[in-house]
Amino acid sequence: MIVIDAASPVPPFEQLRAQLARQIQDRTLAVGARLPTIRHLAADLGLAVNTVGRAYRELEEAGLIETRGRAGSFVSSAGEEGRERARRAAADYAAVIASVGIDTTEAIRIVQAALTSGAATPASS
Amino acid sequence: MTREPLPDAGPPARAADLRPAGEWLAQHNLAGARPTPLLASRLAVRRRARIAAAVILTVLILASALAAVSALGGSQPHRPLPLLALTALVAGLLLAQSLLDWWVRRVDQRAGATLSRRAAHLIQPGWQAVLGRPYAVFAAATFAGAMVLAGSALAVPDPTVRRLAVVLLIGLLGGTAISAMQLRHLLRRPVVAEDEESLTADVIMRVEDARELTTPSVQWTLPMVLLFGTAPGWWSAAAVAYLLLGVGAIIVLQARTPSSATVARQVMRVG
Repeated sequence: MIVIDAASPVPPFEQLRAQLARQIQDRTLAVGARLPTIRHLAADLGLAVNTVGRAYRELEEAGLIETRGRAGSFVSSAGEEGRERARRAAADYAAVIASVGIDTTEAIRIVQAALTSGAATPASS
Repeated sequence: MTREPLPDAGPPARAADLRPAGEWLAQHNLAGARPTPLLASRLAVRRRARIAAAVILTVLILASALAAVSALGGSQPHRPLPLLALTALVAGLLLAQSLLDWWVRRVDQRAGATLSRRAAHLIQPGWQAVLGRPYAVFAAATFAGAMVLAGSALAVPDPTVRRLAVVLLIGLLGGTAISAMQLRHLLRRPVVAEDEESLTADVIMRVEDARELTTPSVQWTLPMVLLFGTAPGWWSAAAVAYLLLGVGAIIVLQARTPSSATVARQVMRVG
C-alpha cells in the first residue's frame, strides 16, 4: 500500500519515490513485481501524471525499477545484486581483518575513511 | 474522511446516513473500522448504480421478448425490423451502461478530491484476485452453455424456432457485452481510499460486484422466456438441465469460495 498526504511539506513525488524505494529495499515489493502504470497510479492517488512520472524516472535512475517498453515498469534486480556484492565484499574484508588481528573499532574506521575519501572504487564483478 | 459534500452523492452524511455504512462494515468483519461519510456516500452511489444496471438488463429481457413476439406476428414469413430494433436497443443499453460507469467514476473522482490523504495498491489486484478463477470459469461456462442452446435452436428445421433463436442470440450477446463492460469498469476504475481500512472496503466492494456480475440473469432468463415450449422437447430438456446445473454450480461456488472480506485481506497482504 502507498499513502500520499497532501498536507505534508514533502512534495508528493518525493513521498511516492521514498515509499516505493523503501518497499523495494525492504523486499515488500519483490524483484520482478510489476508496478502500476503511471496513469493508473496517478488516478488512484489523485496526482498529476507528471508527478508519478518523475518519481518513476528517479527510481529508474537509481536502478530500483526498470521500464520494459509497453510491458510497464518492474522492480529491478540491479539493486538486489549490488547489495549482495557489498555483503560478499564485507565478508571478505571481515576475514582479512580477523587474519591480520585488527580490532573491530579500527576496522570500521578504515572502512569509514575509505568511504569518505572515495577510495572505495567499484569492484569488478 | 470527506471534508465537503460529495457532488451527485446527496447531502452530507449524518449519523443516520452512516448507520448503513456501519452495518456494511460489520457484515464484512470490519466492525472495528469507523463508518465514514466517504464510505456511506460510496455505498449509496453503488446501490443506485446496481439498481440502474438491473433496470438495463430488465429492459433487455423485456425488449427481447417483445422482439420475439413481433418477429413471429403478422403474415410475412421474415420480418427483420424487430431484430434491427433489438440490435439498436442493445447498442443503446451499452451506451447507457457506459454512461452509468462514467457517472460512478466521476462521483468517485470528486469524492477522492476531497481527501487530504490518498492510499492505493502498489500491486494492482487483477481479475484473478477480484473475480477469481472459479467465478471466471463459471461465467465462461454459463455463456458457452447459453450459446450452445442458441446455436442448437438455430439448427432446428422449424423457421419459428430459428427466428426466436436469432432473437436469443442478439439478447445473449448484448447481455454479455453489458456485463463485460461492467467488469472492465470494475477492474480499471481508480480506487478511492485514504487508509488501509478504506482500501480494504474498496476491494470488498469490487469483489462483491464482480461476483454479482457473474450471476447469470440474461443467460438463464432468455432461453426460457423465448424458446421454452416452442422449441422441440429435447431442447427444452437441455435448457432445464442447463438451468439446474447452473444453479447447483453457483450454490457450490458461493459455499466453497472465500468471502469477499477474506479475498480483500489477501489482496491487501500482496500489495
